[in-house]
Amino acid sequence: MKDLKEMLPLTEAFYYILVALYAEPSHGYGMMQDVEKMSGGRVKIGAGTLYTALNTLLNKGLIDNFPVPEGTDSRRKMYEITQDGKTVVAAEIARLEELLESGKKAIVAKGE
Amino acid sequence: MEPRREKRVHLFFSWNYEQEEERLNELSLQGWHFEKAGAIKGTFVQDKTIRYTYRLDYQTGLKAEKKEEYVELYRDAGWEYVNSYGAMWHYYRRPWEPGDQPRLYSDRESLAALYMRIQKVMAVMLLVNFVILSANLMNWLRWLGEKHVGFIIPVIAIYLLVFGLLGYGVVKMGKKAKAVME
Repeated sequence: MKDLKEMLPLTEAFYYILVALYAEPSHGYGMMQDVEKMSGGRVKIGAGTLYTALNTLLNKGLIDNFPVPEGTDSRRKMYEITQDGKTVVAAEIARLEELLESGKKAIVAKGE
Repeated sequence: MEPRREKRVHLFFSWNYEQEEERLNELSLQGWHFEKAGAIKGTFVQDKTIRYTYRLDYQTGLKAEKKEEYVELYRDAGWEYVNSYGAMWHYYRRPWEPGDQPRLYSDRESLAALYMRIQKVMAVMLLVNFVILSANLMNWLRWLGEKHVGFIIPVIAIYLLVFGLLGYGVVKMGKKAKAVME
């Protein structure tokens, strides 16, 4: 991964797509459902946003095509996360943790 | 009975595509549903029992197999593929529902990226046209005095118009992208 930091911060859509694929390889429809479920219905990724995000993630090598299992709908393309993709997710989680910690500390210090 | 069909002009400027969506949605409310793109006129079919929400998407370089995957993904998300215009603009629709109107691009980052993609294509077209015009100009200058060159003025006028429109489009899409991110 030549420039991991270039990808950060991830948008909510990119982050959730990578997190969904971290769990298991999936197709577009599965990702849309997973993301909506994970976010308690808050994040609904639009078709255009998902399609362009998948193309971008493929180009950057964070995800890869995954062979469609026998006997399933072959029109639905499947994707899996790559090692680079996992590295980016880990870096983003570290970044988010820092943000969270700093915010919480400030609020606790104020005692509000 | 065959439903009634009508042809209507459906040309629009790329930077105004959201207005075109609104126009299609308004026509759909009146019972005329966009069905097929033509060079200048599109076909609309009449059906008073339904109303759709139309959305336009911009994607280039979709070959047969890729186009199928693309359309399939949108279908999974509840969008019916209607037709394409010039292999760039793709029309989708879904039955209209009250409340928030569904969009293809759900966050401002991806919307800004869409605007930038359109801007880039316009910028490339502008550049290509400029190269073609320059090459032609050199030929025409050599012909000066030898051949009848009365056609040069109108041809240059057309080029200037194309440059003007593409240049305006590049600026306009840049502004739209910026406005979305502010």
